[in-house]
Amino acid sequence: MIEPLTYFWILLKASLFSTGGTGNLPSIHADLLARNWATDRQFAEALAIGQISPGPNGFWVICLGYLTDGVRGALLATLAISLPPVVVLAVAALHRRVGDHPAMQGFVRGLGLSVSGIFLVVVIQLLQEHGFEWRSGLIVLVSIALALTQRLPIPVLLGLAGLAGALIY
Amino acid sequence: MANLEGEPVVQGATAALAVRTVPVAQAAPPSLWQVGQVWLLLGLQSFGGGTATLFLIRRAVVEQRGWLSPEVFTRDWALCQAAPGINLLCMTILIGRRVAGGAGALVAMLGLLLPSVTITILMTALYADLRHQPLVQAALRGVVPATVGLGLLLTANMAHPLLAVSKRESRSSLLASIFILVGSAVAVVVWHLPVLVVLLAAGAIGAWTMWRHAATQKAGRR
Repeated sequence: MIEPLTYFWILLKASLFSTGGTGNLPSIHADLLARNWATDRQFAEALAIGQISPGPNGFWVICLGYLTDGVRGALLATLAISLPPVVVLAVAALHRRVGDHPAMQGFVRGLGLSVSGIFLVVVIQLLQEHGFEWRSGLIVLVSIALALTQRLPIPVLLGLAGLAGALIY
Repeated sequence: MANLEGEPVVQGATAALAVRTVPVAQAAPPSLWQVGQVWLLLGLQSFGGGTATLFLIRRAVVEQRGWLSPEVFTRDWALCQAAPGINLLCMTILIGRRVAGGAGALVAMLGLLLPSVTITILMTALYADLRHQPLVQAALRGVVPATVGLGLLLTANMAHPLLAVSKRESRSSLLASIFILVGSAVAVVVWHLPVLVVLLAAGAIGAWTMWRHAATQKAGRR
């Protein structure tokens, strides 16, 4: 049974202590899976829909909220990802005072490196959960190659991957 | 009137000069209704993720309406990288606040969120209804690895500039960065430490190494 306040807190604190729209993924992933409130599959689905839907990619959390807890979850998620960005006003004020202090820059850099490291782990777990074999491996490689060319918008790329999935599976 | 950075807004002769040299800059401050209208339109057009939307925002508020100068826009975007949460929402709040105060920030945020969040929830609901169809299942089996591919690329894009800057600083700075990156992954996979603890520890190590690096550089120059 999902407990709304705890659920909200998990999403909020993950977004408060990370930057960018997907920096909160590792923390949310660990907390929700530990409580059996979400599955790896739901994470993969939410990330995919978040890429296709309008708005920043960070909206994947709203998709996850809907998939795990219906409209209530989606609304809680919307609130949880809308509040942390307000802190930017404090960051702007702090920046005015201390400027680019090395310790502050270092903190942000350390956070970014850590998120990258943990993110990699989560992404690999998603692929393992999904069942890794030559076809999915091929799609991973082709999608990286297509994204690197920067010719295709991401929703089109994912549409093509869906088409490929429908044809080969 | 003062802007967020506490500097007085350019007035009088300087402003007249600025208007002559840069024709689009220094437009009259917009009303709340105008702010809401612009961000509602942005929210409706924001398909295709961060970079595309940032491009649209810049065109709307800097080039078309001249609410912000290009320099302020760039500096604001840098601040957003250091703030928690979705960068585009940080940017929306900063710009809204700059052009129309606290109410402006709220209106801009609501304008951006209302259309895009509604469509996102509707799309997810549609997917949840169709997810058991065999065709949708097969399509998803193709989409998930593609998402993983994009995720790997995103990891590389996040880590690369940070590692590149460390490398330019010094060898020990690069080693510290690699240590933080690999150590965080190991701490989560092998020791099952809470992610939040790992993130904060990584931030602290980063702050300490960079502070020390800056101190030794200063000492070296003396």
